[in-house]
Amino acid sequence: MAFWRKNLAFSQLAIVTNLEYRFNFFIDAYLQPLITVGIEILLWIALFEANNSNLIGGFTKEAYLAYGVWAPFLGRVAISWMYESMMVEDVASGNINIVLTRPISFYEYYLSQLMGYKVITTFLSLLVPLFVSFYFKLPVQYEKIPLALTLVFFYLFLLHTMSFIVSSIAFFITKVRSFTLIKNLSLFVLAGELVPFDLMPETLKNVLTALPFSSGVYIPVAYITGRIDHRVVMNGFISVFVSFILFSIVARMIWKKGLLEYTGTGA
Amino acid sequence: MKYLIHKYVEIYKGFFKASLVADLEFRFNFFLLICAEFVWYASQLVIYQVLYRHTKLIGGWGQDQMRVFMFLALFVDSIYMILWDSNFSKFNDDVRKGQLDLLLTKPVNSMFMTSSQKISISHVPCFFITLTGLIWSLNQLPDFSWLRLLWLLIMIPSGLTVIFCGRFALNATALLFTRADFLQYVWYSLFRLGLRPDGIYSSLMSGIFRKILIFILPFAMIASVPTRFLLEPFQPSLLVWALIMPAILIALTHKYWQHCLKNYTSASS
Repeated sequence: MAFWRKNLAFSQLAIVTNLEYRFNFFIDAYLQPLITVGIEILLWIALFEANNSNLIGGFTKEAYLAYGVWAPFLGRVAISWMYESMMVEDVASGNINIVLTRPISFYEYYLSQLMGYKVITTFLSLLVPLFVSFYFKLPVQYEKIPLALTLVFFYLFLLHTMSFIVSSIAFFITKVRSFTLIKNLSLFVLAGELVPFDLMPETLKNVLTALPFSSGVYIPVAYITGRIDHRVVMNGFISVFVSFILFSIVARMIWKKGLLEYTGTGA
Repeated sequence: MKYLIHKYVEIYKGFFKASLVADLEFRFNFFLLICAEFVWYASQLVIYQVLYRHTKLIGGWGQDQMRVFMFLALFVDSIYMILWDSNFSKFNDDVRKGQLDLLLTKPVNSMFMTSSQKISISHVPCFFITLTGLIWSLNQLPDFSWLRLLWLLIMIPSGLTVIFCGRFALNATALLFTRADFLQYVWYSLFRLGLRPDGIYSSLMSGIFRKILIFILPFAMIASVPTRFLLEPFQPSLLVWALIMPAILIALTHKYWQHCLKNYTSASS
């Protein structure tokens, strides 16, 4: 019980902190997704109109519009720039001392905040893709959204573990911003936000779908737009779970070694 | 005037030396930053490679022309990254932590000081790689006249002005709201408009949207219009616009910056 109360408190902290600057929050929850969705829709409409064709890669314009609406939205949920930067900064600057002396682990401390922040921004900005999908009558199976979002939130545990690994590397190398950049840019491609896997060669598509990173964007979007069935989603859960275990082992090793190397100063 | 130019050149030399030392201090990070840029550039090229598997023309351009466009867009982007991006990325933090105040008290132009202090040396390799890519892609075109490259002397600075003023204006908004970190992400979203050829919007709203992208939100001036100068017949009206637009944008950005500074309440104690 104390465990949940503690973590819930940090989740609420993240929500309050982010809502404190309402203009900033408004941009994050509404303006940015709206602009991104608008630009993606324009691209696909323009591509179909310019080509005077009803099908590209076996899918209709509406199918791509649905992908263009939901992929950037889920892509924003399934990425961690802000909290990873804060974690890295804490380790590199020595601010981690404060967290180490608290009755909560560094991992949990930021996981609770990440989850709190993602829950509030996801549920408030969900209105954008829902409204656009209704308005354009896109082929979205609304009853599938809860399971798709569950997969994305499950994927966030894996994502946070990767952030934890990157921040633990800061025990050994002071500047690790490049790791965050490489990781997040690679995830942008591997998750399927860049371009739908359906347009890629069959073998590459199968490999990318089997990787756990596709559970961040491609699998949930393909599921709610009816491109894939329930079994692929279940495989996504399994793939994320197995990777989470593997990444956790690596994270634990680096963290333990890092703590031995670390000398906290100040106070 | 001569003294003023000399002063700014000397300051810029100082910035360059300091940036070089700072970047090379963490060599592994420096190396990985270069790799990260290559991942980004590769991902942008992959989009069109994948799309051309399913269609012959996008926005009236075949794969060869599209490569010229993409390498030109990435080349312009690499110049912007070298000169300004790292300054703009930390601008919001500077405002929130009150460090901007120190920059504003310096006896130099505040726009120059806030935008040019750090030069990103790690992007220099990207500059040469994208330039090589651009030359390679032009070489693939059977009857390209290399003299046309001279148009880029006008068009690239014009495109860079669009990026500089757009990003600067968004950043300046942080002065009004103290915390506006997420405006950066709005910029990254808007910038996608510049990474797509304006030709794909020709049939949209009877071509009005394309005109908006040239004259109102001039993202098409970053790479689309310059590519047209390389590949298509000369359009005098666009050349005139490419010459006038930078002056208009800089004047407007300067005015907006002054307005934001007037309403700025320092975050430091």
